[in-house]
Amino acid sequence: METLNFLMQGFDVATRPTNLLVALFGAFVGTVVGLLPGLGPINGVALLLPLAFALGLPPETALILLAAVYLGCEYGGRISAILLNVPGDAAAVMTTLDGYPLARQGKAGIALSLSAVSSFIGSIIATCGVVLFAPLLAKWAVAFGPAEYFVLMIFAIACLGGMVGDKPVKTLMAALMGLALATVGVDSTTGVYRFTFGSVSLSDGIQFVIVVIGFFSVSEILLMLEKTHSGQQAVKASGRLLFNMKELCLTFWTMVRSAVAGFVIGTLPGAGATIASAMTYMSEKRMAGAKGRFGDGDLRGLAAPESANNASACGSLIPMLTLGVPGSGTTAVMIGALTLYNITPGPLLFEQQPDVVWGLIASLFIGNVILLVMNIPLVGLFSRMLAVPNWVLVPAITVISMVGVYSVHSTTFDLVLMVGLGVFGYLLRKLDFPLSALILGFVLGEMMEDNLRRALSISNGELGILWGSPITLALWALTVAMLAMPGLRWYLKRRRGNVVEAQA
Amino acid sequence: MYVRVFAALWLLACAGLALLAWGFEAPFAYDPVGPRAYPLLLLALMGCGALWLLIKPKGEATPPFDWAMASRALLCVLALLAYALLFETLGFVIATALAGFALGLLFNGRLWPSVISGVLLGVLLYGLFDYLLDVPLPLGLLRLLES
Repeated sequence: METLNFLMQGFDVATRPTNLLVALFGAFVGTVVGLLPGLGPINGVALLLPLAFALGLPPETALILLAAVYLGCEYGGRISAILLNVPGDAAAVMTTLDGYPLARQGKAGIALSLSAVSSFIGSIIATCGVVLFAPLLAKWAVAFGPAEYFVLMIFAIACLGGMVGDKPVKTLMAALMGLALATVGVDSTTGVYRFTFGSVSLSDGIQFVIVVIGFFSVSEILLMLEKTHSGQQAVKASGRLLFNMKELCLTFWTMVRSAVAGFVIGTLPGAGATIASAMTYMSEKRMAGAKGRFGDGDLRGLAAPESANNASACGSLIPMLTLGVPGSGTTAVMIGALTLYNITPGPLLFEQQPDVVWGLIASLFIGNVILLVMNIPLVGLFSRMLAVPNWVLVPAITVISMVGVYSVHSTTFDLVLMVGLGVFGYLLRKLDFPLSALILGFVLGEMMEDNLRRALSISNGELGILWGSPITLALWALTVAMLAMPGLRWYLKRRRGNVVEAQA
Repeated sequence: MYVRVFAALWLLACAGLALLAWGFEAPFAYDPVGPRAYPLLLLALMGCGALWLLIKPKGEATPPFDWAMASRALLCVLALLAYALLFETLGFVIATALAGFALGLLFNGRLWPSVISGVLLGVLLYGLFDYLLDVPLPLGLLRLLES
């Protein structure tokens, strides 16, 4: 009942005219950013974050804006996936498998409208999940001390290594690089300058906005340089624009199942929308058996990943709001946004900043309705945006990135640092290091060191406190399990390989 | 192969930074850990990772180095750096027009359309940010016109 009251309070916040306007704007920008190949939710959030800050938006409004962009990107990613066979963001890869064949069969309109509804159902179910579980988890998380937090963050990083799959060492390295970047600047406990190389601009640490925009926007610009030649014709959306009842009934339970699965995967720290959409696609394919036409235009194969990736986007807000530990790269950026406002996300957020938390949750409901309403009739407009040539798009992204970084501190040093980090990020991406792990590490870095040192201060330097309580022990066990996963998968694959060889 | 080169460089960087980090000492002991241990721990872990990538038994295939691509990327980086460095001195409008034009050409835009899109970006975004959104941007050279 209490929850319901809070939710009503949240709706009060979310329906203020400015917040509604901001949600509408965010949803639109998010969809556009999401549908442009190469630009994903992290880019969208990173580009708008400094603007929100420079505009002096209050924290709840800024967070509503970022959440709307995040959701919008998950809606937008499917448009280019269906029409172009190019995923607009990483999570939409699975959508291309059945979406593009459908478009080729002249069912682009049906595919677009049905996937919009899947996205909507996925988000709404997951948002209900957030309403139900977030306050519970927050109450439970108050019992976390510094030692528990430290181990929890180690678990989050281990999740990345275990879930991202084929390159655990590179993923962990990237996370460590992020953690190390966060140590630059004055040490908060002792006042010692670390890795500043005598520069005044670095004494305060590397600004979060610079890291995000450098690593994601600048490196993306350099990557886009390679794609200038491959222009692909978008399929024209023609024929019936709306799905019919039969098609909805066929896919409804798929959407619900995938939404629940996506939500659960999203709440795990470190595992994001990409994994959720891949897993639900696979399980739906297995459930459909031989009757399904997965891969050449099965509507269920379209509904499952779309519903799951939106659900996991909402689900990843849970660890962010309750524990202050991001569930995905994008929520890592949102945590960075909150710290710009001097709000530390964590279990106490629910008590100290109910307006922010519940305003955000309520705005998820509103944002979803806006996106659904916007996406069905405006799909023509959005698909026309795919035709914007790179020679206009890239300069525009560059300028907005520069303005974003400049608006924080107004120094040339920051701009140059951004370009430098961008080049480094480009090299890392060329070498296959996942940058979202790096951002996660960067966001966790300061908290992790603080909590470690606080824990060891409590115990007077005794390391035993790190595995002294049942919670820490359980988290260590989970961490070990996560770290063992890549090895186990490798072993299973090899054994299966041997069996195949033996049969041959 | 590229990964191995990178890992070797990274290993060296870790060693250098670790030497640097060794010197972090607090004049007073505020906490039992001190400012040195945590960065050293991270660097050691990163060093292990780099070492593993360096000596990993099965290497990845080495695609031929794409010189044309690399030189374009270098041009792009130079354009971005020049933009960053001139942002304040030339002012937002002029620097943006130039950068928009250069990047436009680099991304296969034709000459005149790139000029137009660069100038439009500079003027329109200045108006948008400075007047509508209240984000102050440097005027640079154009300040001379003002006085």
